[in-house]
Amino acid sequence: MMKKVLVTGATGFLGGSLVERLLAHGEHNLRVTVRPGSRRERVLAAAAKYPDAQVEFVEANLIAAKDAARAVDGVDVVYHLAASMRGAPADMFLNTVVGSKYLLEAIGTRKPMRVVLVSSFSVYGVAELGRGAVVDEQTPLETHPEKRDLYGYVKLRQEALFSEYAAKNGFELVILRPGVIYGPGGNAFSSRVGLNLFGVFLHLGGKNLLPLSFVDNSSDAIALAGQAPEAAGQVYNVHDDDLPTCAEYLDAYRREVKAIRRLRVPYPALAVLSRVLDRYHAWSKGQLPAIFTPYKSATTWGGNRFDNSKLKRLGWKQAIPTADGLQRTFAWLRAST
Amino acid sequence: MTLKIALVGCGKIADGHVEEIQKLPTRAHVVAVCDREILMAEQIATRYRIPAYYDSYERMLDRERPDVVHITTPPQSHLPLSRLALDAGCHIYVEKPLALNHGDAKALIDAVATAGRKMTIGYTYLFDPPALEMRAAIESGVLGKVVHVESWFGYNLAGQFGSAILGDSTHWVHALPGKLFHNNVDHLLNKLVEFIPDDEPRIDAHAWRRHPVRFGDVRDEMQDELRITMVGSETSAYGTFTSHVKPAAHFVRLYGEKNIMHVDYVSRTVTLEPGATLPSAIGRWAPAFGQAMQFLRAGGRNGMAFARGEFHLFSGLNRLISMFYDSILDGAPLPIPTRDILRVSSWMDRIFVGIGAERGR
Repeated sequence: MMKKVLVTGATGFLGGSLVERLLAHGEHNLRVTVRPGSRRERVLAAAAKYPDAQVEFVEANLIAAKDAARAVDGVDVVYHLAASMRGAPADMFLNTVVGSKYLLEAIGTRKPMRVVLVSSFSVYGVAELGRGAVVDEQTPLETHPEKRDLYGYVKLRQEALFSEYAAKNGFELVILRPGVIYGPGGNAFSSRVGLNLFGVFLHLGGKNLLPLSFVDNSSDAIALAGQAPEAAGQVYNVHDDDLPTCAEYLDAYRREVKAIRRLRVPYPALAVLSRVLDRYHAWSKGQLPAIFTPYKSATTWGGNRFDNSKLKRLGWKQAIPTADGLQRTFAWLRAST
Repeated sequence: MTLKIALVGCGKIADGHVEEIQKLPTRAHVVAVCDREILMAEQIATRYRIPAYYDSYERMLDRERPDVVHITTPPQSHLPLSRLALDAGCHIYVEKPLALNHGDAKALIDAVATAGRKMTIGYTYLFDPPALEMRAAIESGVLGKVVHVESWFGYNLAGQFGSAILGDSTHWVHALPGKLFHNNVDHLLNKLVEFIPDDEPRIDAHAWRRHPVRFGDVRDEMQDELRITMVGSETSAYGTFTSHVKPAAHFVRLYGEKNIMHVDYVSRTVTLEPGATLPSAIGRWAPAFGQAMQFLRAGGRNGMAFARGEFHLFSGLNRLISMFYDSILDGAPLPIPTRDILRVSSWMDRIFVGIGAERGR
């Protein structure tokens, strides 16, 4: 009997791609969770290409126990992508971490199951590593989440929860930590490149490598993690080869999409600015948000090198070369701006 | 003495409370937080370095022995959580709306009186800088007697709160008697109570839904536009709650016997409407400059406050908390009179009954 596979967050940017790649990888018995009112067109279009494929939609709010139970009932593999990318801190935490808890409670000790969690590079504690250090799966996890942006804290806590339940309930857990997932339908800029401030793009990433992962390449890695027996219990970093620097990415964007105004802030200047803003934040009792602090700046803009060799050893190959991925992304951004 | 503060309900609004309390280190410190979902209590404790967190309210009250409990849960639980805190000898700060209906609001206020403790409610805009400036101006006599008041509250359905409500058909707001309005019209009505002294002014309310039907559940029925007319013995008022007028404005306009005042909570300006004091066409030309000067002065004052590090987003919340703690520590008057809190809850009941009857027609 064909395995039944659950994808949470299937109507999102990465989820839509994952459904397409899972179908291409031969997974033809899919269940996807959707929130009432969310758009299903992309999933339906992908399924239409495979006449034998069964794609079941389950309307679910993952912070409701009964919905989570309905979602996991009878499945063999769970790909958990659903996460909150923005909003108030409490809501992001609720939707991502508490939502994960309900899912994990629902999985409980059901039949042997594999659970693939899509986490993030942001769980690594790189602030104290020094500039240029290599980030691989052995890199220590963040020990000061309260000093980081909320997304990093949320993903770190989510990972810890999955590991805790996997140890307790005995399912096979695979954790994937993608870098910057990009592609048509995604964002133009990761904060690693810089931030838009009052109409001027502050280019903060300089010549740091940008750990891009084209969305379909990420999806191939995620699909593989759900299928390869040897992936059980493992963690994989996910990014492409031939990575551009942040400056190269920004130049290409300005050339191919839109000539935005930019202001380059070299890292030493950013480090000084971060110290000043941190002190101002404390002195003024938070009159302005602490967008830059020495810790956050060292984490996001300190600059690292990256290693995806473990993922390659699992059998992952980059299907879409970085040059093609960038071209497709810029074409989409050009059309949508 | 430093007050020991505990907080129950670790949703969005709890962040603001903790941040503002932590700005008052000589008077209070947050000792513990509680949420029935332990992960939610853990996250706020981690982010704000709060020493203890709980998923049992009773255990928190028992172990921490707080002086004050901030109740930032959905209104459905305000009354029972207040009673438990009062039984434990705590003063309470309750987020708005106070309760599900006026009966529960009265029961809560009675419980406070019986326990001999103090309470306040999160009417923070009453303590925002423009509200303070407005009261000083009224005191100076510039308006004369107030004839009419207009209170406008623009709501952003795509904002943090609105999208959480529209994103979840099981959100607690959908279970309130007054739905979306129940969670917001406090902000509209509490600005009127100081101008309408009546207990039972005449109230007419009309409500409707303007957002498109797209969910197939309770969210499609949620009304998002509300208009209120009130007539008291001395003053009349209009209230507007709108989710579709953009930008989402937030102001009060006071129509006095001498002047008209515009109190803007977004730009934090208090200005007088110009009258034609000069003859002929000059009377139509000159007032714009007078008004421009008012905005220039207001912007300058705000700029100076900013330079001193005194221009905060949650100024009103900070001031309200400070005044409440002063009333506990030093016996200062309560920041919000109990009668005003009860009048708001009574008016809310009447509005929800009114629009409910309208819906049923």
